[in-house]
Amino acid sequence: MMYDADAGGAPVIRVRDLGKVIGAKAILSNISVDVEPGSIVGLLGKNGAGKTSLLDVLLGFSPPSSGSCRVFGEDSFHLPAAAKRRIGFVPQQDELLDSLTGAQQLALNAALHTAWDEPLIARLVREWEVPLDRRIQVLSGGERQKIATLLAIGHQPDLLVLDEPASSLDPVARRQFLRELLDIAESPTRTVLFSTHIVSDLERVAGQVWIVRDGRLVWAGELDTLKESVARVTLVAHADLPSHLGLEGLVSQRTDGRCVQLVLTGWHDERQRELADRWGAEVTVERLSLEEIFLELHS
Amino acid sequence: MDRDVPPPPRIFTLEPASGVPIYRQLIEQVRRLVASGHLAPGAELPSVREVAAEYTVNPTTISKAYGLLELEGLVQRHRGKPMTIAPLRRSQHSLAQRLRQIEPQVESLVLAARQLDVRAVDLTHLIERKMQEQDT
Repeated sequence: MMYDADAGGAPVIRVRDLGKVIGAKAILSNISVDVEPGSIVGLLGKNGAGKTSLLDVLLGFSPPSSGSCRVFGEDSFHLPAAAKRRIGFVPQQDELLDSLTGAQQLALNAALHTAWDEPLIARLVREWEVPLDRRIQVLSGGERQKIATLLAIGHQPDLLVLDEPASSLDPVARRQFLRELLDIAESPTRTVLFSTHIVSDLERVAGQVWIVRDGRLVWAGELDTLKESVARVTLVAHADLPSHLGLEGLVSQRTDGRCVQLVLTGWHDERQRELADRWGAEVTVERLSLEEIFLELHS
Repeated sequence: MDRDVPPPPRIFTLEPASGVPIYRQLIEQVRRLVASGHLAPGAELPSVREVAAEYTVNPTTISKAYGLLELEGLVQRHRGKPMTIAPLRRSQHSLAQRLRQIEPQVESLVLAARQLDVRAVDLTHLIERKMQEQDT
């Protein structure tokens, strides 16, 4: 209740010039980003790019080495208990108690939270076909992941953070799970942040995308804008084209005599005409899927 | 107004994995469905929530599409009711505005014409003939 003041549009997460150094190695560098309430943010990066390290700092599991990170307006490494209760987290490695049954584990967590949404959990247990009567140690990876997710959303968190949440789920379960994320973020005050390497999931439900590469945020913004600002452009000229076209936002280039294929950021449709006029070339423009964009940014 | 007949399911084909953002796909499809008469003036559109749930996609990209279609004058928003396809609107927009809307298609047409060495006068004749065909 005491945090109602920031429910009306202040960022849920505010990161400024964040850096994280472990030993002599910079794990995260120069990260500045905001998360607005009601959004679904998808965090994308190769293994070891720093996704989990970033989530750890956001959640206050480890302090930043430099810069600042605020969650609900509070320093994330010194979050008051009331702010922590507004967060739900599904870690990559679940922290379920192997000796309990699913039902016992859920009851344990329900007892810890006054805001536990029993009807929601009952519905999801049914829809997701979550086994409750068997001990957790005999469950499959996907079944464990479902229970871990229920534990993270049962107390109706305002900020739900999931680290590789759907990795063990089959396509049907993944789709059901994505629907639930959409349901949660439908509330203008509730926010979802999830890391994944399943690009197709992210492309469906995320409104915002963060791409992490070598500990840096190389993109943080709307998925729609990302797709619009990256294009694969092919120039076919009447004469050989120079190997350096001096273009802004060049991601990659393949030159083969009169034919050049470029991937450009900062694309807008007027550039097609500009390129055609400048190089006397036929210019074709191709839009890239998020997966292709991701691969290009890592080429 | 009661909605006796719910909007037909899956009137759109949304490809989240396409390089074209979902909102742009939706705008194009509504334009086409209207142009082809499949969505007549007064036809109700499924809500943002319905489309997002049906296709499991982020609702902000759907509401962006609806917002832009409304700005374009193609759909109308009603308080507490489904959005509808707007009445035919010849005079709602100035000629300049309508020409601006068609400019991207003209640009790619001109590009194709250049590539094929088609002269402006021949292209214009073709356009005139096509428009006459559609009018009759």
